[in-house]
Amino acid sequence: MDGTEFPTAEEQEIDEIVQQRAGTHGELLGILEEVQRLNDARYLPEEALERVSQRTGVPLSRIYNVATFYSFFNLKPQGKHTVTVCRGTACHTKGSRSLLDDIGLMLDCKKGLEEGEPLVTTPDRQFTVSTVACFGQCALAPVVAVDGSIDGAMTSAKLQKRIGRLSKGRKRP
Amino acid sequence: MDTTMVTVKINGSEYPAPRNATILDACTRAGFKVPTLCYCEDVAKNASCAVCVVEVKGAKSLLRSCTACVHEGMEIVTNSPRIRDARKTSVELLLANHPSDCLACLRNQNCELQTLAADLGVRGSRFVRTKKAEKLDTTSPSVHRDPNKCILCGRCIAVCQNVQTVSAIGLSGRGIRTKISTYMEKGLGNVACTYCGQCALVCPTGAIVERDETDEVFEELSNPDKVVIVQTAPAIRVGIGEAMGLEPGSLVTGQMVAALRRLGFRKVFDTQFAADLTILEEGHELIRRLRTNGTLPMITSCSPGWIKFAEHFYPSSLAHLSTCKSPQQMFGAVAKTYYASKTGIDPRNIVVVSVMPCTAKKFEARRPEMMSAFEYWKDKRAWSETDAFYDVDYVLTTRELARMFRETGVRFSSLPSEEFDHPLGESTGAAVIFGATGGVMEAALRTAYEVVTGTPLTNVEFTAVRGMEGLKEASVDMNGTVVKVAVAHTLKNARTLLDQIERGESPYAFIEIMTCPGGCLGGGGQPIPTTWAVRRQRAESLYREDAGKPVRKSHENPHITALYKEFLKEPLGDMSHHLLHTSYERRGLRPWTAGSNGQQHAASVRPAG
Repeated sequence: MDGTEFPTAEEQEIDEIVQQRAGTHGELLGILEEVQRLNDARYLPEEALERVSQRTGVPLSRIYNVATFYSFFNLKPQGKHTVTVCRGTACHTKGSRSLLDDIGLMLDCKKGLEEGEPLVTTPDRQFTVSTVACFGQCALAPVVAVDGSIDGAMTSAKLQKRIGRLSKGRKRP
Repeated sequence: MDTTMVTVKINGSEYPAPRNATILDACTRAGFKVPTLCYCEDVAKNASCAVCVVEVKGAKSLLRSCTACVHEGMEIVTNSPRIRDARKTSVELLLANHPSDCLACLRNQNCELQTLAADLGVRGSRFVRTKKAEKLDTTSPSVHRDPNKCILCGRCIAVCQNVQTVSAIGLSGRGIRTKISTYMEKGLGNVACTYCGQCALVCPTGAIVERDETDEVFEELSNPDKVVIVQTAPAIRVGIGEAMGLEPGSLVTGQMVAALRRLGFRKVFDTQFAADLTILEEGHELIRRLRTNGTLPMITSCSPGWIKFAEHFYPSSLAHLSTCKSPQQMFGAVAKTYYASKTGIDPRNIVVVSVMPCTAKKFEARRPEMMSAFEYWKDKRAWSETDAFYDVDYVLTTRELARMFRETGVRFSSLPSEEFDHPLGESTGAAVIFGATGGVMEAALRTAYEVVTGTPLTNVEFTAVRGMEGLKEASVDMNGTVVKVAVAHTLKNARTLLDQIERGESPYAFIEIMTCPGGCLGGGGQPIPTTWAVRRQRAESLYREDAGKPVRKSHENPHITALYKEFLKEPLGDMSHHLLHTSYERRGLRPWTAGSNGQQHAASVRPAG
């Protein structure tokens, strides 16, 4: 029952990951990490979590606990590009709040950011905007990471350029 | 087990304490009360609340006494300005995010946070609210959750994961966003939750409570067109007194009956009548399975939390469950058929209210198949689906009944002792002990032995199946056939027996499983707190009531004999099949995926034999 007899291709991939990791220390973290990598939108779809639960015997509530505890795991599809704004003290005093507001305007996702969502993805799934408590690069404040590479002394103009380059060919909403 | 003793100094005097004991245990033994909040006997010591802190000489900071252990020569102080300040601050921090509408809370005056705040002298909160308002979870027909009242002590998770091995709830998020969640916030009503209510029983605040049906019952009681009758489970007579302020385990059968009459119930009946009926049906089902090579072991089906657990976690073993309905449901079906015919009352006007120690019973009463009385009358009276009614209309927990008594000013201590009404109020000692773990087994053995051997039992007490051990077993010699039986309470212990069955290694013919620790007397709807000491007191009262009953075997209940003679004809007969037996659903671990509109799998299992 529960569809174990005729697994889909995705389910087979998950089963293999579980099999490889079975019995290792911190097994669940490793499994979820690899399962998240399986899809382009870098997230853990419900069906995948349920498959992992079924194959590992770890209760769904526990998997949900782990998946929501670590910011590395996403339960919603992520944008193609990521923009992470540092909201630490140093960056804050150097104006990271207004950088975040500018990004909200640039990418048309101001509402979600204002509502305090930890992660906001644009409807066309091109960008995911998030904040971080501190990158540890306070000397370069304000700091913004675009697709993982950190840029210091960020200004609104610089950001506009970088994001503009990435959104080339992107349909304006 | 390490039984070595060490000597510790508590508040200046020396006391012996077992090595490896926690500081809390050592202090309690020595007679010093250390306040606790997240700690829950045998269930949880999460060290999350920082209320039980004490000073230990040489330690850098205050230690949490629920987890820190004693050692030889340890010097402990349980009361100092520093300790009091720390405890008070911990509670104030919790109160900052806790609603202050205590007066409108179901747990008002029975809330550990409230008591603690009063005891510790909290006179205001210095801290501001930091959490966002959360939505209530009212998806379950049995228990409702209000995350705003949650203090994240983790007791509910501990009982759900470790005692029941259900894991319907867990923590989610991190830091300020941490909360107790069901998987993907689907709600208790949509995940594999058994509705046992143990989470509500251990919750120190009003964050998890029974779904309150007192308003609906009050409304029915004031409707002159309705005949509102009540049935009380065995465990209520040893729980309701406690909920009304008497000593734990107080046996108040007679006062309870009197109080229910004063509340306005037309007839006060006893679920124990139906418990005797259950024994007749289940006993004969067991004998039939034994004689016809039916599916064995057969497992009792009185505990609706256990039934739902089996449907979620052991769907391929459902043929082992007895097809007998629980006593609550048998009562409803009999009341709206047999009793309705006997009295000439239109069954559509009969309102059956159950008082149960159980939250899962609320769900059980709403299972779509529990409309046997309507099915019985439908064709006879040419009624349409708009006339449909459930066999049991409302289910109140012990706690809800206590609230109704208080609201109407019923003074328990000054009530006379009154008798149940005839005929559905008559029961035997065998039915009383249904409320304790091992009781259904003992009651069944009393009847099965005499039916199989044809000789009367010299001693009706099967003490091997009594007591609070998690798993018990016994062998009964019936005319040369040795029947091995087992008894389990808590779903963790149930798993042990079920895994054995699924491996094909079960040596038993008959198994009793009760969802809650101690059986129904420790049910999720019972008075709070329910500790092991309290459970033992309640069990003692039940066995005392059994010992004092003139008739102690279900098959000797004259009113059950009359019921068969006048109406049902014979155990496992055609009428019984329709009114007293049921079927189960394969629910699986992802119940939300089954069918559409929340409908479950159509595949039901009707065990043979």
